[in-house]
Amino acid sequence: MDAVHEVLGRSALVSLTATAIAVAIGVPAGTWLALAHRRGRGALATVVNTGMAVPTVVVGLGVALLLWRSGPLGELDLIYTLRGMIIAQVLIAAPLITGITMAGLQALPPELPDQLRALGANRMQLVVRLWIEARVPLLAAAMAGFGHAVSEVGSATIVGGNIHGQTQVMTTSIVENVGKGDFDEALVYAGILLALAFTINAVLTSVQQRAAAWAQS
Amino acid sequence: MGAVLTLRGVRQARGGRQVLAIDELDVPAGERLAVLGTNGAGKTTLLRLLAGLEAPTAGSVEIDGVPVHTASLAFRRQVGYATQRPGLLSATVIRNVELPLRWRGVDAPERRRVALAALERLNVADLADRKAVSLSGGEAQRVSLARAFALAPRLLLLDEPAAGLDAEARRAFLDDLESALRDRATTVVHVSHRADEALRLADRILVLVGGGIRQLSDPATLVQRPVDATVARLIGYENVVSVAIDDSGQVLGPGRTTLAVWASAVQIGTGPLRAMVERVSLGPGRWEVVMSAHETLQAHLPLDQTPPQAGERVNVSIDTGRATLIR
Repeated sequence: MDAVHEVLGRSALVSLTATAIAVAIGVPAGTWLALAHRRGRGALATVVNTGMAVPTVVVGLGVALLLWRSGPLGELDLIYTLRGMIIAQVLIAAPLITGITMAGLQALPPELPDQLRALGANRMQLVVRLWIEARVPLLAAAMAGFGHAVSEVGSATIVGGNIHGQTQVMTTSIVENVGKGDFDEALVYAGILLALAFTINAVLTSVQQRAAAWAQS
Repeated sequence: MGAVLTLRGVRQARGGRQVLAIDELDVPAGERLAVLGTNGAGKTTLLRLLAGLEAPTAGSVEIDGVPVHTASLAFRRQVGYATQRPGLLSATVIRNVELPLRWRGVDAPERRRVALAALERLNVADLADRKAVSLSGGEAQRVSLARAFALAPRLLLLDEPAAGLDAEARRAFLDDLESALRDRATTVVHVSHRADEALRLADRILVLVGGGIRQLSDPATLVQRPVDATVARLIGYENVVSVAIDDSGQVLGPGRTTLAVWASAVQIGTGPLRAMVERVSLGPGRWEVVMSAHETLQAHLPLDQTPPQAGERVNVSIDTGRATLIR
């Protein structure tokens, strides 16, 4: 059972860290895409929307090629490490968080940014207020990003290598046990992974629904 | 002390189309200027330029001699802008009013005092702890105005603040607005497409047509001497007709003199104009009769008078003493 706890802890660490970094990248990027009037914004939005649909195994392959010892970032020695897996999961979750943030902010009344400017908001005050107004979709973005990161197996296998005691996470354990024909073990990992996803999403959903109820009451 | 506005050679284009062209406009401190015009006349564009939300394509928009668009945030914070939609945030009413004060670094007790005073001024202090989303349209408009007033702006921009309110709410809202503006410490630019609002609240009225100034005058002059048919219709004349008039001012029949005529000055029964009654309907305290003569004519008859029937041919006269000569 210690091994299960260890793998569970590793999964949570990798996916929560990746989600936090992806939120730090995706929310500002989505905000820029929602508010900017510059040329190229539409093309970037298309890239982000495409990124939301890229299979995780393709992301894993791309990251592995970059981090491979003979690759352009090979000297960083990140292949088959948790940090390498976090990089891959950031690339998986960030487009999703960027896209949902953009859509959430674009769903606000279109005149709202100008109203806030007219009330004297500086750029930071404006953005923070828009995030508060769009808090429900922003929390949905974080939940979707975490869900995508914690459930993916393609990049975790390719970039992490499923090394016991080092880079094995819940999803790669399930695949490994199914491969060995040990379905009981695979089901234990699957149940725990579901419980992890449920717990974290339950917390975020509770916050989200309270925010929504507060706004509507 | 209100702000002084100066516009020179202002041109604003959008999508390759010119939407505003104002060669010269000066608004002295403390004046209430109403901007009247139909949809698409450039009214909101003018307000956005004054608020510094847009830079003019050409020319200058200055407040107290400072170009607005390049002015510092601190300078632009002297301008209050209440948009057509109240734009309240998902917070309580008091927090909505306090928020712009917080952005200006006002401490919490002072914020609350100022916000409550502003809500009091618009007769909505009792709503302070309500969620903004639970307010009716009229309440939300008052709160939006209170939020602008709380900033003690030197220039207040109002974009159709009574739009979307029913007649009773609108009347009450305008009463409160008029009383709140009474101290004249603020220069006010008030955009509307309703003449009655502009005539009631303004010192001068600027009529915009197709993005340009068609007429700029005090309310009495605007009503008594509209420069053309478009302005006459904008300020509420139901009829603009071309007639021939003799030396005593009697209408002889169709002709080349253009008159703006209130519907109440059109009489049915005798007169030199022949018309066919198109439609008769009941209006507020009157019969409203639409007729086709050489031009469409509207008449308002008292309720105690029997109106003509649709399809009936009638004689019509115009009380030129209550009409305005346009050309």
